[in-house]
Amino acid sequence: MTSAQSSRQKLGRKFINASAVLGLLYLFAPIVVIVLFSFNKPKGKYNIVWQGFTLDNWANPFSKPEFTDALIVSLQVAAVSTVCATLLGTLIAIALSRYRFKGSGAVNLFLVLPMTSPEIVLGSSLATLFLARGVERGFMTVVIAHIMFQVSFVAVTLRARIRGFDWALEQAAMDLGASPRRAFWKVTFPLILPGIIAASLLSFALSIDDFIITFFNAGSLVTFPLQVFGASRVAIPPQLNVLASMLLFGSIAIMVAGLIFESRRQRAASGSSRH
Amino acid sequence: MATQKKNSTGRGTPLSRRDFLVRSGLVGAGALSMPALLAACGGGGSGDSEAMSLMFENWPLYIDEETVALFKSATGIDLKYTEAYNDNNEYFAKVQPSLAAGKTIDPDIVAPTFWMAARWIQLGWAQKINMANIPNSKNLRDDLANPSWDAKNEYQMPWQTGIAGIAYNAKTTGRELKSVADLFDPAFKGKIGMLTEMRDTLGLVLMSEGKSLDSIKTFDDAASAFDKIEKAKKDGQIRAFTGNDYTDDLSSGNFAACVAWSGDVLQLSKDNPDVKFYVPEEGGTSWYDTMLWVAGSENGSAVEKWMDYVYDPVNAARITASVQYISPVKGVQDELSNMGGDAAALAEDALLFPDAATISRLQSWGALSEEEEAKFDERFAAITGA
Amino acid sequence: MLVLAIGVVSIGAGWVSGTTRLVALSVMLVSVVVLVWTAFMGGLETRRALAPYGLLKPGILWLSLFFLAPLWSMFQMSLSSKQSRFDFFPDFTWEWSNYSTALTDFAPQFTRSFVYAAVATVLTLLIGYPLAYVIAFRGGKYRTILLGLVAVPFFTSYLIRTLAWQNLLADSGPVVSLLNTLRLDAPLEWLNIMDNGRLMNTPAAVIGGLTYNFLPFMILPLYVSLEKIDVRLVDAAMDLYTTASGAFRRVVLPLSLPGVFAGSLLVFIPAAGDFVNAQFLGSPSTTMVGNSIQNQFLRELNYPLASAMSFVLMAVITCSVLVYAKFMGTDDLV
Repeated sequence: MTSAQSSRQKLGRKFINASAVLGLLYLFAPIVVIVLFSFNKPKGKYNIVWQGFTLDNWANPFSKPEFTDALIVSLQVAAVSTVCATLLGTLIAIALSRYRFKGSGAVNLFLVLPMTSPEIVLGSSLATLFLARGVERGFMTVVIAHIMFQVSFVAVTLRARIRGFDWALEQAAMDLGASPRRAFWKVTFPLILPGIIAASLLSFALSIDDFIITFFNAGSLVTFPLQVFGASRVAIPPQLNVLASMLLFGSIAIMVAGLIFESRRQRAASGSSRH
Repeated sequence: MATQKKNSTGRGTPLSRRDFLVRSGLVGAGALSMPALLAACGGGGSGDSEAMSLMFENWPLYIDEETVALFKSATGIDLKYTEAYNDNNEYFAKVQPSLAAGKTIDPDIVAPTFWMAARWIQLGWAQKINMANIPNSKNLRDDLANPSWDAKNEYQMPWQTGIAGIAYNAKTTGRELKSVADLFDPAFKGKIGMLTEMRDTLGLVLMSEGKSLDSIKTFDDAASAFDKIEKAKKDGQIRAFTGNDYTDDLSSGNFAACVAWSGDVLQLSKDNPDVKFYVPEEGGTSWYDTMLWVAGSENGSAVEKWMDYVYDPVNAARITASVQYISPVKGVQDELSNMGGDAAALAEDALLFPDAATISRLQSWGALSEEEEAKFDERFAAITGA
Repeated sequence: MLVLAIGVVSIGAGWVSGTTRLVALSVMLVSVVVLVWTAFMGGLETRRALAPYGLLKPGILWLSLFFLAPLWSMFQMSLSSKQSRFDFFPDFTWEWSNYSTALTDFAPQFTRSFVYAAVATVLTLLIGYPLAYVIAFRGGKYRTILLGLVAVPFFTSYLIRTLAWQNLLADSGPVVSLLNTLRLDAPLEWLNIMDNGRLMNTPAAVIGGLTYNFLPFMILPLYVSLEKIDVRLVDAAMDLYTTASGAFRRVVLPLSLPGVFAGSLLVFIPAAGDFVNAQFLGSPSTTMVGNSIQNQFLRELNYPLASAMSFVLMAVITCSVLVYAKFMGTDDLV
C-alpha cells in the first residue's frame, strides 16, 4: 500500500468521523435549547427570548397543573395500552417464530401494513369508524388506537429479537418431564423476557409521544402532546421545558440502568458458563 | 356519580388511583365494556345543591389561578377550570358528534368567540341563562348588550373582549406603523404575519379598503380583500398565518409586523419594549369571547353563580390585571386603581381602556348566513394553504 | 381465522346490520368455542396444529377491528356527500367527485408531501449513514452507549423538539447567524435554500424538521445491518480491492442495503403523512397533504374530502413501496 493511499485513507477516515460528530451535534442542538430555556426567567408569559437565569422553574416543575395532568393522562394511556399491546404482540411473535403454519406469510404482511401506513391515515380512518359507529371519543378510543399501532410494533420487533431462539430447549424441558406450561414459563419465558421488555418499553415511548393518531381520536381527552399543541398556539411556559427535560433525563437514567443491568447479566452469564 | 365524573377527566384534581384502576380493569375486560365505561365516567351532571360542581373550558392563559381558588372557597362549588378550548373551528368539530346527537359534553360553560357563539345558539347547543339570578349582569358594558344574534341577551355573557389591530417590532421596522397598508409595504417582504382568525385578518383589510364591516353580507362584498391577501401570500409578502403564536415570531424578529390582538401585545411588550400595538387609522376590529351554558348541562345554578362572580368588578379587575384583555365589566378601571401597584398602572393603559378616538375606529362583524360563511371559510382556508 | 377476521371487519364497518349481524356474531362465537374446545380436547397433534392460530387470534382480531375495519369505513366515507354544511354524518352516495377534488384542488399539497419526504429521506441517509457506520465499526465497546446517545434526543416530546427548531432557525437565531458568519448565506440564497436571509418558514425549514425528527428511524436499521457485517470480511475486501472506498462500495454498501431499504421506508412513510413540521416550521406555501387532511377533518368537518385525500395518500405510498421493493430486489419488508 502506498503512503499516498494510506494518507488518503486517513483523510477519509477523519472525514467520516467528523461527519458522525456533526451528526451528533445536529441531533443534540434542539435538546440544548429545550434544557437551556427551562432555566429562563420570562418577565411576561412568553418563554421565547432569553431573559435571565433562574432555578424557579425547576423548583416548581408541577406548577402548571394543565401540563402535569396531561402528562398523567399520557402515562395512564401508555401504561394500559402497552400492557395490552405487549400481550397481544408477544403472542403473535411467538406464533410466528415458533410454528410453521399455513397463512404465516399473510399474517406477516398484515402486521407490517399498519407500520407502512402514515399515521394520519390510521388516525383519520379510526376516527371515521368511531364517528360511523357513534362511539364517543375519549380515553378508551385513544387506548384502542394506541394498542392498534403498538401491537404491530411489538410483534415485529420481538419477532426479530427471538428469531434465533432455539425452541428445542423447550422440547428438551418437556422430554425431561416438564409440562408444556411449566416448560414455557421456566425455560422459554425467561429467555425471551428481555426482548419483551425492550419491545414494550419502546412501544410505551411511542404511545407517550404519539400526537397525530391521538389528535384524531382524543375527543375531549387531553394527553401531553395535545396539551403542548394547544399551548403552542398561545405560549409555552418554561415549566414545560422542565417537564421535557425531566422526561429526557428520566429516560437516560432508565437507559443507563438497562445498560448496567445488561452488562452485569452478560458478565454473570459468561461467568457461569465457565464453570 | 357526577362528582366522580368531574374528578376523572382533566385538570384541577388529577385522576385518582382508584379511577385509574377502574379504567384499567375495564380496558382489560375488553372493548365490549365500552358502554359501561362511558356510563361510569361519562354520565350527566347533577343539580345536587350540596356538592355543586362546575366545569369551565376556556382558552389557554385566559385567567389568573387565584380567581379559580377564590371562587371555590367563596361558594363551595367544585370548579374545574380547563384550557382545552384553543380553536373555534376545531372545538366545534370536536364536540359536534355529541351535541348534534343530542348528548351533552363534559364542560358546563365554554368560551366560543362571538361569531361561533352565534352558531352554537342557532344550532340549539346553548341554554338560556336566567339573568335574574345574576345580579351583577347589570355590570355588562352597554356596547356589548343585546347583539343581533342574541337580541335579548339571554344565552351568553362576554368573557373578555379585545381589539385586533397591527403589532410591529419597532427595531425591525425602523419606523412607526399606523396603517394596514404598511403590512403590504414591499420593504417588509417575508416579514409579515396575519391571523388565522379570518374575521380579524379579513376585517382589517376590508376596512383599509374603506368598507364598513356591517355592510359585508355576501362573499362578493369581500372578494377584493381576499384577492389582496392571496396576492400578498403568493408574492411572499405574508410569511405565515398564525394563531396567538405570532407572539413568538414578533418578539424573535421573524415578523416585522402582523395582525395582532391587543392583550397579547401588552404582555409581550413587558419582555420586549420594541413591540408595539396600534389600531389602524382605517379601523380595527373589536371582538369578544363569550361564556355559553352548554345544552344538556344540569349545573345551571353553579353556572349562574360563576357568571355573577366574574361580573363583580372586584373579581373582574383581578382577572384583567392578569390576562390584560379589555374587560366587559363596568367599573374595572376604578377597581384596578384601588388595587394599587402594577394594577393601578394598568388602569391608565390605553390598550386596556382605549380612548374615545380609538373606540371610534373600531368595528365589528355582523352575522353571516350559513351559506355565505361557508364560502368565506373555504376561500380563506385555500389562502392559508391548508 | 380469515373468515373470522372478515366477520369482525364487516361488523365493525357496519356492512352487516340487523339479523345478519346477529347471525354473524353467533357464527363467530361458535367458531371460537369450537377452536378452544378442539385445542383443549383434541389430540396432541391437533393441538400443535391449532396452537399458532390460537396465539394469533387476539392480536389479529384487534388489528382487523381497529385497522382494517376503519379503512373500510373511511373508504365508504370517501364516497359520501354532505347534505348540509354542518351535516355531521354524510350519506353514502358514490360521490367520486371527492377524489377529483382531492387530486385537483390539493395537487400542490400532494406534490410537496412526496417531494419533501423524498428529500428528507435522502438527507437522513446522508447524515445517518456515517453515524451508523462509525458506531458499528469504530464504536468498540462504546457501541451501545453511542447508540443510546443517538436515541436520547427522541425521549423528549416530538412537538417540543420541533418547537425548539423554531428557536434555532429564527431570523436572528443561532443557525442563521452562524451561516452569516461563515458567509454561507449568499450561496444558500442562490441555491434557494435561504429566502431573503431567512430559513424559518421556508421549504428548507420543513424538510430540515422532517429530516431531524425521523433521523433515528434511518440510523437504527442502518446500524442493525452494518453491525452484522463481519469486520474480517471488510479487511479481506481491503486486501482485495486495495482501497477503502473500493471495499466500501463492493462489500459494505451492498451488505447494508437491507438497512438502507428499511430505513428509507421508515422515514419516507411518516414524513409524507406528517403535518406537524409544516405547521410549526412552514408557511402557507409549504403545507403538506397532512395539513389538508387535518384541516378538512378536524376543522372544516369535511370528512368525505379528508377521507378521499387519506386514501389517495395511502394508495400512492403503498404503490411506491411496492415499486421500491421490486427495485431494491427485496420482498422482505421487515
